Amino acid sequence: MKTRKLLSLLLAITMLCSLSAAASAQTVELPRNETLYFAGLQWGSVNGWNPLSDDMNNALGITQSSGGSRIPMFETLYMYNMLDGSLTPLIADGDYVWNDAHTEITVKIKAAAKWSDGTAITANDVAYTFDTNVKLGNAKGNSYKPYIASVTAVDDSTVLIKATLTEAGTAVNPLQMIAYLEECYVLQKAWIQTLETRCNNDAAAMKKDPADDVVWSGPYTKQYADDQKVVFVRNDNYWGQDASMWGKLPVPKYLVHTIYADNPAGETALKAGEVDVCQQFIANIQDLWLKDGLPISTYLDKAPYGICVNMPTAWFNMDIPALQNVALRKAIAMAVDYDAINQNAMTGQSPTFADVPRSCMNPTAGEQATFDHDAVKSLQWVGNDIEGAKALLDEAGIKDTDNDGWRELDGTKLSLNACCPNGWTDWMAAMEIVAAAGEKIGVEITTEFPEWSVYQTVVTAAKQTDYDIFMMWTDSAAPTQPWGRIRQLMSSEFNGVEGNWSGNWGHYSNARADEIIQAIPTTTDEAELKKLYTEAVEIYLTDVPSFSLMYRPNMFHAVNESVWTNFPDSTDGRNIPPSICVDGYGIAALYDLELVNP
Amino acid sequence: MGFTLPRSRFLILGGKAMKGYRKYFGKKILWFVITFIVALLLNFILPRLMPGDPVAAVTAKQAQGLSEASAVKAIYDNYAREFGTNKPMTEQFVTYMTNLFHGDMGTSFSQYPRKVSDIIGNAIGWTISLQLPAILIGWLLGNLLGALAAYIRKGFDKVLMPLTLFFSSIPAFGMAVILLVVFAINLKVAPISGGYGFDMIPNLSWNFVLSVIQHYQLPFWSIVIISIGGQAVGMRSMSIYELNADYVKYARFLGIKDRKIVGYVFRNAMLPQVTGLALSLGTMVGGALVAEIIFSYPGLGTTMYQGITMADYPLISGTTLIITVMVLIATFVLDIVYGFIDPRVKAAQFD
Repeated sequence: MKTRKLLSLLLAITMLCSLSAAASAQTVELPRNETLYFAGLQWGSVNGWNPLSDDMNNALGITQSSGGSRIPMFETLYMYNMLDGSLTPLIADGDYVWNDAHTEITVKIKAAAKWSDGTAITANDVAYTFDTNVKLGNAKGNSYKPYIASVTAVDDSTVLIKATLTEAGTAVNPLQMIAYLEECYVLQKAWIQTLETRCNNDAAAMKKDPADDVVWSGPYTKQYADDQKVVFVRNDNYWGQDASMWGKLPVPKYLVHTIYADNPAGETALKAGEVDVCQQFIANIQDLWLKDGLPISTYLDKAPYGICVNMPTAWFNMDIPALQNVALRKAIAMAVDYDAINQNAMTGQSPTFADVPRSCMNPTAGEQATFDHDAVKSLQWVGNDIEGAKALLDEAGIKDTDNDGWRELDGTKLSLNACCPNGWTDWMAAMEIVAAAGEKIGVEITTEFPEWSVYQTVVTAAKQTDYDIFMMWTDSAAPTQPWGRIRQLMSSEFNGVEGNWSGNWGHYSNARADEIIQAIPTTTDEAELKKLYTEAVEIYLTDVPSFSLMYRPNMFHAVNESVWTNFPDSTDGRNIPPSICVDGYGIAALYDLELVNP
Repeated sequence: MGFTLPRSRFLILGGKAMKGYRKYFGKKILWFVITFIVALLLNFILPRLMPGDPVAAVTAKQAQGLSEASAVKAIYDNYAREFGTNKPMTEQFVTYMTNLFHGDMGTSFSQYPRKVSDIIGNAIGWTISLQLPAILIGWLLGNLLGALAAYIRKGFDKVLMPLTLFFSSIPAFGMAVILLVVFAINLKVAPISGGYGFDMIPNLSWNFVLSVIQHYQLPFWSIVIISIGGQAVGMRSMSIYELNADYVKYARFLGIKDRKIVGYVFRNAMLPQVTGLALSLGTMVGGALVAEIIFSYPGLGTTMYQGITMADYPLISGTTLIITVMVLIATFVLDIVYGFIDPRVKAAQFD
């Protein structure tokens, strides 16, 4: 009797606890054939809806990037397309226009462009947003302040962007100004002023405000957010359905991102059809449709399956004497088996160095056209060249004099470590292959995998102390590329900077390279540009301050076509980039989606 | 007839007993306070001894794609100021303590600018809903099975003993993954992740409640099955020990019915199990970490895990503080309860 009472009490507690987990409010079950599900973008819960803040952790709503900003909720003047580097007008009307001196840009605003509260988007909004970003000192403000002196409204529909000038009167960096056009959101001046009043013009308070009352211009807005998911709902009054823009509304009514704890959880959901668009690296993704027969596809239906736009790179620590020897650096770089890295780290989702010989440029047609391939052919090694590497070392006098199996440099045995953060399995695999290459040529390389929080502190320090060979990424596609990446690989301006996140972590220094990096942004003559880029590649491949390990996409893009279809692919001629249907011009995909079972 | 102290005797000694109890509880409370203070200190210091700079971790997120060294430095300095990590350790400790006594556990680094109390408040509901019933039911069923095995013996015991040992030795992550693969992925009878349906928004409709219960099953059973195994093994050993005790043999010879003896036997065997239950309840806040990560269940375990990987001191300190306090309260309550239910403690008061 007692036990029965106890058991029923326990059952009641169980049920109560289950119920206590339920929240209150809305009554919505999202219809599957009106909802597009995402994975791989939102980690952890959303903090708010304030586009002036960098801490909102709102991946789908607030992400500004020079490779294409995320524009479902907030919009930019132009939309970037990584396939050809073009800018398509969004809020802007027509192309941007340079003045003759190449120091000012004029942009027109579309007459049809409106805010969610019905008022028109004007040039004053653009100007005020820029000034606020600079005043608040947020990421966008700090990024563009060095390059843009002012953004002003000539009249309600004309914006004038003036460059910061050098002493010679030329723009410091015109490329960055173009990036600004497609990266930075345009926000409503009236709303910013409401925020200022509310926060008493205090910058810190303004950046912390969750902005539940924000005014937006995009096709989607917030509906619901908690620790499990974030839901965007379509604004059926969206201005973009005007004939001057898309001419219709985007097809899905809801955009939802469920918050998964880690990559495997997101991948499982993709396979189960609970996710339509997935931004995650999935090893051997082709098995999902070849072996498992799932309706999953990628932008390219054969290797490399996606568009690669950056190169994870192994950097040499040039602060230590041993690695200041160029023969040693080149030999190690030549000996690595890059095909093995491609197979192990990227499972074939990257072009090989035989397909796209190494340079400072990514494999896209735009960047590959910037330099003279024939001039650098002799410098481009393919890899796994053990004999060549050994010969190079012997020639340089780096030999094994005491017959212990390892070479010495200046009397001491060469012993280096190869490092990357723990848990980044594809990078760890690459470092193991580098260590194996070292062993084949007689240089002792051991791998080390510190935790990310430790790794980043060491790598971004003013002097490289603990790691000899270490991995970091390079910039992806953007209007400032490939110049930005060349600067990241070789510019000495970052040497000695504490908390260096910008580049050249090996602290390489070359005066001619610095000159080239200075010259490129203001050079407009095509032939001259090609010469400069070619020379930069020559310097990079001769001095080998670092070496690319593989090519990699910036955003992975895999789709499950069990509910939605007509996603962009490489053969459909629409020139829509595989940027998960929400970045830059990639958002055009949302307007063409069709249901599998209408 | 039984073996408890006759009530009359108890009343006579009443006065002396109460004074003894006061001393007993007094000592317990003193130790409780001392332990709590030491725990607070360790709670603050230990996470901050971890290598790695949390400010750099947060800056890294914002600095993605930024190429201006000065811009990144500005961001870094801003966060260092906000987090107060550029101040000396003693000053940080004093700030932390003062805030704590106002109920403010600080602002999270990794989920800046969310407050730690807000993060924990959201997560703790899910964890307790998962853990409390799982622990209680696991404990109850486990002890029942263990007691039965000890009492019935023969065939029942021969099958049950190895089975429970088997289940109790399976590690939590193994059990969770096995259940996920078998029931959710292969047989497709259970959902694969989350606290409620992926296509739902929380509301008080019957559909939603059903969805919550559905999503509750796999994480729940992954904890209960292992817990049953552990409890059964323990209870069985204690029961066998008690069943072979002299007083049981004597009572049997006196002709007392088995059913009456069994009541006392199991009451004695329960004591260590009650300790176990109290400690489980104390640590339950952090105990479902594995189940939560594998099923993407939005509880405190996931929060703590993220905090640790991102070197988020306030969040780590906040979660460990809650666990510490719960364990301390559990053991303290247990000590008090023991004072009443354990005859040996009662007897000791009369010295």
